[in-house]
Amino acid sequence: MQDRPTSVELLEAAADFVDRELVPTIEGARQFQARVVANVMRIVAREIKMEDPLVRSEVKALARLLGRDAPHLHSLDDLHTAAASMGEELTAKIRAGEADGGGWRGEVLAVVRQTVEDKLRIANPRYLESDTAIRNTKKET
Amino acid sequence: MERIEPGEMVRRLTDFIRSEGGFDSVAIENLRRMPGGASREIWSFECAMERGGETSRRAMVLRRDPGAHNIATNRRHEFLVIRAAFEERVPVPEVFWCSEDPAVLGSAFFIMERIDGETLARRLLRDDTYARAREVMPAQLAEILAKIHRIDPVKHRLDFLAEPGDNAALTEVKRYEQNFRLLALEPHPAFELAFRWLLERVPKTPRKTLVHGDYRIGNVIFGPEGVRSILDWELAHLGDPMEDVGWMCVRAWRFGNDRKPVGGLGEREDFFRAYEKASGTAVDREAARFWEVFGNLRWGIITISQARTHIDGFVKSVELASIGRRTAETELELLNLIE
Repeated sequence: MQDRPTSVELLEAAADFVDRELVPTIEGARQFQARVVANVMRIVAREIKMEDPLVRSEVKALARLLGRDAPHLHSLDDLHTAAASMGEELTAKIRAGEADGGGWRGEVLAVVRQTVEDKLRIANPRYLESDTAIRNTKKET
Repeated sequence: MERIEPGEMVRRLTDFIRSEGGFDSVAIENLRRMPGGASREIWSFECAMERGGETSRRAMVLRRDPGAHNIATNRRHEFLVIRAAFEERVPVPEVFWCSEDPAVLGSAFFIMERIDGETLARRLLRDDTYARAREVMPAQLAEILAKIHRIDPVKHRLDFLAEPGDNAALTEVKRYEQNFRLLALEPHPAFELAFRWLLERVPKTPRKTLVHGDYRIGNVIFGPEGVRSILDWELAHLGDPMEDVGWMCVRAWRFGNDRKPVGGLGEREDFFRAYEKASGTAVDREAARFWEVFGNLRWGIITISQARTHIDGFVKSVELASIGRRTAETELELLNLIE
């Protein structure tokens, strides 16, 4: 067990330094690259915090969609492997036209949307928030 | 690629322009590399030319292939397309000379007039300086696009442009599907759903025209008064003109200004009507939607390809690497469009 600061605290400290101390002192292409570096560190920090529950629920949702019991897995590696192989099964079914229409299409769309939104919760939460806000105003009008 | 020192580059460039342009003497000043241009190097310089006692001076830009980059485009073809556009009074830089001989500057390049102005789309969408430009640009971009689609490839001998066959839309979908299958490292069910959606709705393409291929606000030089020049013609091809219309509406080119679908500047219907008025041809709304969905999918596949460039080690770059995590943005937009 490592001492504090945690990995997330270390990453956030490094990203804050880049954003607040480094970015204002440089210009042009290098400034842009530095912003990218800070953003990448924040992505990794969110991934460390949130990935475990998200990939567990993805595996559960994919198993249900494919009509089978959710596997009991513990390690993140096993969960990744399961999500990837069930993802391949799902894409094969979509390519075969099984989700072109009918009741299953709705279930597929819901699971795929959930998975994509979960990726954005880590990669770009602001994009997801703005998307949700726009869709809500569209629904109201 | 041969490494050329700046002093040597000035000497070789001077010789090249003197012999190509038939000048008695040429002097190059202020040669400097411009920022940006991930896939092409951009150099800026001033050129003083003298012939038979008469002197002239132009601000110029050189666009050069990076040596090791393996992108299947061709500098001479891009040069010839821009020249055709210039002759048809599309706002583009005047192009001067082109060379594919690696002995000159190490790799293929061409030289054109430098147009001053801004290219950063975020400034266009946010700065007060560009309030007027924001108002006039959607209609300007529609009119310019109509003009591009009227360029006659036969008259301008653009016979090297890829011929899309009987169905331009299907050809493009198949081409990008093939790229996707080669490049993707994970399953992308949202993209699979989008491919199915597109294949069910392939439009017939009654018009076959020159297509710019990368028509978006990021490829425009603008000033406070509006459009000054259209850039980056390397993806020009023959196809369905609605491809350019749909690509203008792709979400990534709104740069966060998502309530205005056309480049973060305007509404689709206003853009379509301005195009119809300028071109005298109707915009098939379903075809435009097909190409918008295709455009988002195409950008999504490009994000995968840029991440692969880093992952496979061709170009190690934190920027390219981070683009791999933007694929989910296009997946969400595709779901919004096809649900």
